[in-house]
Parts: sequence; structure tokens; C-alpha cells
Amino acid sequence: MSALPKRALIRTESRQDGAIPMSRLGRGITVTGKLDAEGDLHIHGRVLGTVRADRIVIAPGSDVEGDIVARDAQISGRVLGRVFALNVTLDSSAEVTGRIFHHTVEVARGARIDARMPWRPLNFFETLEQLPETQP
Amino acid sequence: MTMFSRNDKAPEAAPAPKPAAATPAPIAAAATPTPPPPPPTPTENRRFQMPTTSTSSSPSVSVISKALKITGQLESTEDIHIEGEVEGDVRGVSVKVGQSAKINGTVHGEEVEVSGTVNGKIEARKVVLTSTAHMSGDIVHQDIRIDSGAYVDGHCRPEYGRPDGKAHAVQKPAAAQGEARPAFGSGKSAEVRSIA
Repeated sequence: MSALPKRALIRTESRQDGAIPMSRLGRGITVTGKLDAEGDLHIHGRVLGTVRADRIVIAPGSDVEGDIVARDAQISGRVLGRVFALNVTLDSSAEVTGRIFHHTVEVARGARIDARMPWRPLNFFETLEQLPETQP
Repeated sequence: MTMFSRNDKAPEAAPAPKPAAATPAPIAAAATPTPPPPPPTPTENRRFQMPTTSTSSSPSVSVISKALKITGQLESTEDIHIEGEVEGDVRGVSVKVGQSAKINGTVHGEEVEVSGTVNGKIEARKVVLTSTAHMSGDIVHQDIRIDSGAYVDGHCRPEYGRPDGKAHAVQKPAAAQGEARPAFGSGKSAEVRSIA
């Protein structure tokens, strides 16, 4: 149960493939608090709080209020908050309000983005130790 | 004029200069240009490809894997399978606490099966503690099974669903009560009969 190294929030190098632990939060679940995962995290339900994982998939119909920190983030649901991810994919059913800090981004036609999308260099994510305060 | 009118009469593409067949030099020049360099691949970050449809297991069950830590509350109208760490309360219909799981908090549910560690409380209609279970805290249940090898430190009280912990529940129909505690039901009815 060793989490990521305390310093870096995002593991930028891809992990050696093997048994990648996969977590999923089903449709009927509501989590209030902090989620801290290694590996994949699929969210189908509702989360109020910060979410961190290597790869986050926010499924259609899900709802996240809070910050999302990941290497890869695929967003098809509703997000209210900030996204910090190297690679961001916004699907056509995505609905994002807030900010999307990214290195590469892909936005599908139909996505509702009400957000600023600041590009950041790789080392921004590599050295991200603490989520910065941002003006709303 | 509208600003974004469709440009119906697009300017005719300039007719490509047709090189005369008699002059081979321009053709050769047109054929030889170096092909455009492939688009720069921004390192290996582009490499990842997410599966757009992830219907690996049934969508209703939630899995908290070994590598996931939750600080806070978990509430579900469905089943939860926990292998990770939870600091806080868990509420679900059927909650399975796996061998590697660690929960600090209360676990509520209709059915709770514990194979891992729970520090706190269990409140469930049906409780199963398997041989690898490590339970520190009280268990409020209606039906409990404890396998040999399980560690239990706390009170087990068969008071699930009763508002004040008293044996005589008021909101439960007698039939439902009778199943759990047949002695009470029969004794009471016998008493009533004898009085009558």
C-alpha cells in the first residue's frame, strides 16, 4: 500500500506493465473525500473531493466536483473543478467547468467546456508537489 | 452582409499548371520533392490510448482496488468490493471487505463480509467474518457467522434494525421478528394465549 512518492503528485513515466490495479466506482456510489490511487481509476458515480490516480476515466453520467490529478485523464462526464493531467481527452459527452492544466489535450466535438485550458510544460507536471491555488 | 455567410462562390482553385508532356523537367521536379516530414510525435505521451468503452465488469459493482486509498465517506446503493484502504465510513447494500482491505470507520450494509481488517464498527443485517478477518470494534447484526481463525475484538449485538437496542422492536412485524428470535415470539404468544 505504498502510495506514489510523496513529492511528485503525478508519475510521468509510464509504469512497467504488469498487474495494473484497477479500481472502479460504480454508478450508485457517492464518495465524499479524497481518493488516492495507483493505476487506473474508473469513475461512474459521484465524487466530491480530490481524485488522484495514474489514469482516470470519468465515464458518461458521472459527476466529479473537485480537483483531478492524473497522468492520463479521459473525461466523458461532468467535472466541476480543476484538472491537472499530462494527457487530457475530452469526449463529446464531457462537461467541464473550471480549469484544465494539460500538456496534450484532445477535445471531441460536442464537449461542453467552460474552462480555461492552460498548457504546461512537462516539468510542470513532473515537479507538481502541491496543487497550486488558482483564482476562481 | 452577414459575417459568417457561407462562402458559396469559393474562388476557383487556380488551375494547376499543366506541365506540358513535352517538357519532362518540371514533372521530374514535381515528383521529387521531399515528402513532408512526419508530424512530430510529442514524446511518448501520445502513445497512450484509452479504451472508450470500458465495460469490463458489471457496471453496478464498485471495486476499490488494493492501490486505492479513500479518505472520506463512501456511500452506495449497490455492492462494494473493497481491497484498498478506507479512512471513513462505508455504506452499501452488500459490502465485501477483501483480504488486503483496511477500513477505519463504520461499515453499514445489508450484508457485510469481512476478510480484511476493520477498525470501527459493523452494522449490518448479515455479517460474515471469514477466517482472515480482523475486526476491532462492535458488531451490530441480525445474523452473524464467524469462521474459525477470525479475530474479533468487540461486542456482537443482535440489535440491527432496532431503534433503541431493546429486544422488542415496535416497527417490525411479528413474523419477521419470530424468525430471528423464535423463543421470544412463541413465548409471548403462549403467554398471551394463557392470559386469554
